[in-house]
Amino acid sequence: MTSPLPLDRSDVTSPEPQLVPEVPAQLPGWRLWLPLLMQTALIVAIPARDAYTYATGRTVVLQTAPVDPYELLRGYSQTLGYDISRLDRLRQLPGGEWFKQRSQGTIYVVLEAPTTAQTKPPQAWKPVRVSPTQPQDLSANQIALKGKFNGWQIQYGLETYYMPEDQRQQINADIQKIQQQRQQQSFVVETKVDSGGNAVPVSLWVRDRNYRF
Amino acid sequence: MASEKFRRQLRQEVEDWWSEGLIDAALYERLADRYQFRRLEQDASNRFIAILLGLGAILLGLGAITFVAANWQLLSRTAKVVILLACFVGVNAAGFYLWRRPLQTGWQRLGQGLLLLGALLLGANMALMSQLFHQSGEGYELFLIWGLGVALMAYSLRLVPLGILALILVIIGYCLGWTAWIGWDRASWQEFSGTRLLVQHLPLLLSLVFVPLAYWCRSRVVMGLSAAAVAISLVFNLRPLSIWNGAPLTAGWIGVIAFVLPPALLWSYRDHLWQYRPVSAVPASQPPSPLSQPLLQTLALWFLAILFYVFAFRGFWTGIELTRDPLAGWDWSPLIDAVILGGVAILGWLRIGNPFRWRQFQAQHISNGSIAIGLIVAAAFFLLGQQAGVIAVVAFNLLLFLLALGLIRDGLALGHRATFWGGMVLLVLGIISRMLEYDTGLLLKALVFVLCGIGIILAGLRFERSLRSRPLPSLPPSSSEEIS
Repeated sequence: MTSPLPLDRSDVTSPEPQLVPEVPAQLPGWRLWLPLLMQTALIVAIPARDAYTYATGRTVVLQTAPVDPYELLRGYSQTLGYDISRLDRLRQLPGGEWFKQRSQGTIYVVLEAPTTAQTKPPQAWKPVRVSPTQPQDLSANQIALKGKFNGWQIQYGLETYYMPEDQRQQINADIQKIQQQRQQQSFVVETKVDSGGNAVPVSLWVRDRNYRF
Repeated sequence: MASEKFRRQLRQEVEDWWSEGLIDAALYERLADRYQFRRLEQDASNRFIAILLGLGAILLGLGAITFVAANWQLLSRTAKVVILLACFVGVNAAGFYLWRRPLQTGWQRLGQGLLLLGALLLGANMALMSQLFHQSGEGYELFLIWGLGVALMAYSLRLVPLGILALILVIIGYCLGWTAWIGWDRASWQEFSGTRLLVQHLPLLLSLVFVPLAYWCRSRVVMGLSAAAVAISLVFNLRPLSIWNGAPLTAGWIGVIAFVLPPALLWSYRDHLWQYRPVSAVPASQPPSPLSQPLLQTLALWFLAILFYVFAFRGFWTGIELTRDPLAGWDWSPLIDAVILGGVAILGWLRIGNPFRWRQFQAQHISNGSIAIGLIVAAAFFLLGQQAGVIAVVAFNLLLFLLALGLIRDGLALGHRATFWGGMVLLVLGIISRMLEYDTGLLLKALVFVLCGIGIILAGLRFERSLRSRPLPSLPPSSSEEIS
């Protein structure tokens, strides 16, 4: 009367016991199509919200933060920071004391459209206040952008960009030039923001050049 | 069916026997029928076609990818999405219908390969889709969702390779996510996303998704991998040790849960744990549990061996000073998994009943009783923590050497080579580690090495001789006691 051998007994029992009872030939078609449909839904779900935002959102222009000259658009993807990504910038706004109380969480940044008419590049929207909940009392020229505070900066899902090789070199040259001339305001990103505060990038402006994504 | 290589050799031999007059035509026919000599050539040609088709499919796929890459800028976003999805669906459908073809192993294998390729394409599509829309999703999220998507297909098709792939993907996702979670890669930790829960509750996820999958596919590989991943992720999620987070041994009970629960769970888990059965009314001939039983107990022994070995080092118990509150910044959510899996372990031990039976211990020293005692002793010292000091070091060394000796003894008694050598390696490793850890003279070191060497040679020779003197490797009869 013993318990079975604790260590591997594969020499006495078959390594993969009892073959799969069903012969694949008997499998009906839905056994492929149902999971395949669900997998496809998984793939399509990734851009679904972005597509919705893209279709229904309002165009908002965001001011970028200076790019580290050693970290210019290099390699496969690039991370961009924004004026409103910076903690010290948002702290100064009304509602900014929230950052003292919390170390992370979701916040909404209310942006206001520039008053001047269409320019090239377009003027960036100005952040006017910060709210821990989605603000309802916005005037017509304001919009709320949802961001995630991770402890030291605020992310909006607009940080990573994938650029083709040939465009990258030109953009790099342009960015370097404007940074040397300290004209950061001519490097902006055009985005679409939907009513829920979600944003997708639309295009990149470097001076009067427009690069669409 | 025997392997093709064997059948070819056999055909050659049988033809020789026939020509030499050893067997007659009737016997030759029967052998030819049994081993299907006539299908050998057809199989070979099928396989050749399958290889050609596979190569062709890979080249076609490469061509499509290169075409898309070449025209990436020219194609509209919609066109890219359509091409990607068409590739994905096409490969999966082709794989499924080839795999389903009856009685043609070559085609089936090709179909299986295409289904695997389809599973890889799922991940590629998800990554490209996210890239097309410039999303800043994280790698670990991709791997977790991808793995679960593949698991879906593995369930539906009952295909073991897909299940293994899914499990590996989820484990990769967990590893990447874990480093983000504990702060090595804090920037990529998505505190607000649902994937966070998948990382923090991986033991539950594995138990609910992949352990049933192992039963559904009758796959030991999936079972073993899942069980090992459950045990390891329990430890890593509870973070009982602070080498990972900057503080020494944390509050004792976390150590107990993290280090004692996994082996207790692995050792006591049975395939039929869930069948309701009054403990007293055990049928005399309980069917053996082929999937989990010996496999998970082996994993439990591995876990214990590593645990005892690591904590037999004196550095863990002495000389570390608590610099800050070990529970500061500690995440409580993995305790949910520990509680639920702890319930499973308790159920398992209740099913075992009284583990302390002398007869059982006589037959096999590494039995329910000795494992239970080992776990209780280890738990007690983890609770005491550093207060135990030197006593804990002695206790863990004792546990280590008793485990090694028990394995050696069981290996000898049952004629089981792996058990014997496992114990031998553990014993020698323990002796050498102790010798190097403590400041001993060179002469003593030399003596220990020599003694270990001689010991291994003698033990090995004796073991092999005793094994040879047995007529057949005899197995103990499966019993009802171990479950009662």
